[in-house]
Amino acid sequence: MAGRGGRALLALCAALAACGWLLGAEALEPGASAAGMRRRRRLQQEDGISFEYHRYPELREALVSVWLQCTAISRIYTVGRSFEGRELLVIELSDNPGVHEPGEPEFKYIGNMHGNEAVGRELLIFLAQYLCNEYQKGNETIVKLIHNTRIHIMPSLNPDGFEKAASQPGELKDWFVGRSNAQGIDLNRNFPDLDRIVYINEKEGGPNNHLLKNLKKIVDQNAKLAPETKAVIHWIMDIPFVLSANLHGGDLVANYPYDETRSGSAHEYSSCPDDAIFQSLARAYSSFNPSMSDPNRPPCRKNDDDSSFVDGTTNGAAWYSVPGGMQDFNYLSSNCFEITMELSCEKFPPEETLKTYWEDNKNSLISYLEQVHRGVKGFVRDLQGKPIANATISVEGIDHDVTSAKDGDYWRLLVPGNYKLTASAPGYLAITKKVAVPYSPAVGVDFELESFSERKEEEKEELMEWWKMMSETLNF
Amino acid sequence: MGFLWTGTWILVLVVHSSPIQAFPKPEGSQDKLVHNRELSAERPLNEQIAEAESDKIKNIYSPENKPGESNYSFVDNLNLLKAITEKEKIEKERQSVRNSPYDNKLNMEDVDSTKNRRLIDDYDSTKSGLDHKFQDDPDGLHQLDGTPLTAEDIVQKIATRIYEENDRGVFDKIVSKLLNLGLITESQAHTLEDEVAEVLQKLISKEANSYEEKPNKPTSKTESQSGKIPEKVIPMAAIQDGFANGENDETVSNTLTLTNGLERRTKTYSEDNFEELQYFPNFYALLKSIDSEKEAKEKETLITIMKTLIDFVKMMVKYGTISPEEGVSYLENLDETIALQTKNKLEKNVTDNKSKLFSAPSMKSHEETDSTKEEAAKMEKEYGTLKDSTKDDNPRGKTDEPKGKTEAYLEAIRKNIEWLKKHNTRGNKEDYDLSKMKDFINQQTEAYVEKGILDKEEADAIKRIYSSL
Repeated sequence: MAGRGGRALLALCAALAACGWLLGAEALEPGASAAGMRRRRRLQQEDGISFEYHRYPELREALVSVWLQCTAISRIYTVGRSFEGRELLVIELSDNPGVHEPGEPEFKYIGNMHGNEAVGRELLIFLAQYLCNEYQKGNETIVKLIHNTRIHIMPSLNPDGFEKAASQPGELKDWFVGRSNAQGIDLNRNFPDLDRIVYINEKEGGPNNHLLKNLKKIVDQNAKLAPETKAVIHWIMDIPFVLSANLHGGDLVANYPYDETRSGSAHEYSSCPDDAIFQSLARAYSSFNPSMSDPNRPPCRKNDDDSSFVDGTTNGAAWYSVPGGMQDFNYLSSNCFEITMELSCEKFPPEETLKTYWEDNKNSLISYLEQVHRGVKGFVRDLQGKPIANATISVEGIDHDVTSAKDGDYWRLLVPGNYKLTASAPGYLAITKKVAVPYSPAVGVDFELESFSERKEEEKEELMEWWKMMSETLNF
Repeated sequence: MGFLWTGTWILVLVVHSSPIQAFPKPEGSQDKLVHNRELSAERPLNEQIAEAESDKIKNIYSPENKPGESNYSFVDNLNLLKAITEKEKIEKERQSVRNSPYDNKLNMEDVDSTKNRRLIDDYDSTKSGLDHKFQDDPDGLHQLDGTPLTAEDIVQKIATRIYEENDRGVFDKIVSKLLNLGLITESQAHTLEDEVAEVLQKLISKEANSYEEKPNKPTSKTESQSGKIPEKVIPMAAIQDGFANGENDETVSNTLTLTNGLERRTKTYSEDNFEELQYFPNFYALLKSIDSEKEAKEKETLITIMKTLIDFVKMMVKYGTISPEEGVSYLENLDETIALQTKNKLEKNVTDNKSKLFSAPSMKSHEETDSTKEEAAKMEKEYGTLKDSTKDDNPRGKTDEPKGKTEAYLEAIRKNIEWLKKHNTRGNKEDYDLSKMKDFINQQTEAYVEKGILDKEEADAIKRIYSSL
């Protein structure tokens, strides 16, 4: 039929159809509106990622652009407002944005907690754009990550501080200006000091996880907590995060719990129960960052003491004691394991260096994301198949338990080895299972717990059966 | 053969499509006039088939009554009119039966959602007045209240039908058939025509009082139509004779009929040479707004461009290289883009930077043939003219910053659409649901504005970009 009109017509039709679609959908090419070469295009651009500093409006715009480009896999939300009213924006990347899929682990990246430590903030913006681009290109690793993880990226926890730091004239930024929030609070010292409590519990006996009881009272009534801190605490309590990273600047190392020394001294190695997995996680980041893992790298400043650094990683307290930090708060109040990354010797380096920082950290950021798919994971349910939320999953030999989330799902990060996992819940009989854990992927282990009443019923039935049998045999 | 047929009716559809505001949905557009016309355009063929096969049998009895009365004045010839209405009804029944194999016509079938059927659904349900009368009323000869129809009523009925269908071809068909069968003489046909025209005029002037825009179309149509009735009747009869020779010619004659009809319609409207284009309401409005002398040339160009584009689409569809739906949607897209451009031209003084966004559509086109290049160049010029005039009046108060942001958003949206299209073609769906996307975007942007994630302006810009797709 089409041949009737000849090849010209076919081509015409195709062109017309293309025309029609293009008419509707084609966007303005940057070159076309050459009138107005804006400052932002001046700098290096690669695949839609412009390597330059983003102030608050540009940050928002960048996240919105990612969302517009990848509406199917992204969502922007805010966990609250800074002291000066800026939104604490988060972009979520997942195959089902806005929804926790049972069994799908939650991951977060937080940057720029200290407003003048700017590299983390920028890296996270680049990361969001990168994940979107790569997803659309069909990059298998990224596609798999996005389909199997719910990734939350908060480029800046302290937008007020950043504005202050960025507003300084000239390229050389002060070491302290913009570090704290608008109230002058150092956010990484502002979290409830759970380390102190856990150390007491270690000595006198007591739990070492989920130490923040009566959350509402403590958090909302505590006048000392900054609005940014409160927002993050609520966020941690709302979403069952499994793994997290806290991006800083001023040095070059991956730092893991505990951050506070047990004895109260200036620095001493203070390991947490999950020291093994934390070391592994920290290495998973640092090993992909060439400068971080460079054994011959000189310290950032001549007199710096980096004796605690091993393969680009360090125990927090061994380096220097930090009380009230966000990292330990995650570990001790929730199921989330968090590591602090120091990404640059200079806290607020010149804009031209941002591209290099991205190149250095790109693979690390992805590698660390993949770590969430390790250890053991599964569901805790009752005999009817209904999920049991808040069940406890303990690992023999590791004095730190995790709990199951609303859908009964749990995730337990572990280094390779043989473990005995026990799931228990009030009113239920605990079950222990043996698991052999490889490096990755995570091993699936589900638990079906029998409640006490069910067991009682069973026992009663057994008793009845026995009585019946006896009476029949003995004829009474 | 089927392709040509569909092609021909889409030609009529395209040329005569009344304002279709929404993006075409498979469920069918809301405009009954389009469907009516489409159906009535097809009718000659079907009626000819029906006629050739059954009328000979059916009307054996009726003609026996007629000849004796043919000498009387038309107004007294109640039986003749009865016969007309009865035949109409029979043909319609026959037509609906006939056409189900062609998948084109089904009464009250809303189970299947093929586009064609749905269109017919609308047609059927909207033709309530007269259709129901025919269906409920076996011989079509009674009013709703049961009293028998008078001759005036029948004339009224025919006139109303013509008016509703906006197609005087209804009348032509009836009369030509009657002439063919020798039931009425030429003079009687003229008289009938006069009567119907009179009633039609009354109808139109009545309607003209309630609508502002309508007077243009029906009035000019009727006026020119009545002047050309004799011309039309004869070719129709001639074609029918030709048809009687064999079904092989049916599609050819159908095409001929329609193209003749089209040409005639086009010629009819030549007094105001962009009447044909009034079916693109936005374009029409734009043209109307260009009234000044110095822009007459621009007006000319625009009209030529639109006409050429419409012709291209018609040809495409006729030869089956694109489906009718694609043709329609392309043209609608065009119209909507024009609407947007017009709107922006009006808004240019309020927000300068935003208008620059929509110069985009014209710039891009992958040229594969020279004629398309020419077309695209014309389009570009057309939009370029609009854009330039916008620039001239632009006081340039705003900075480049907002423009850059919307640029970035545009780029992001483009990538999203591209990916969605690619992603979905790999799947089973042919086309992602743009309207669903638009709804989602509207919803989300609203939510984001509420939460403080987006500015109201940004949200509006994004919504606008999506609505222009």
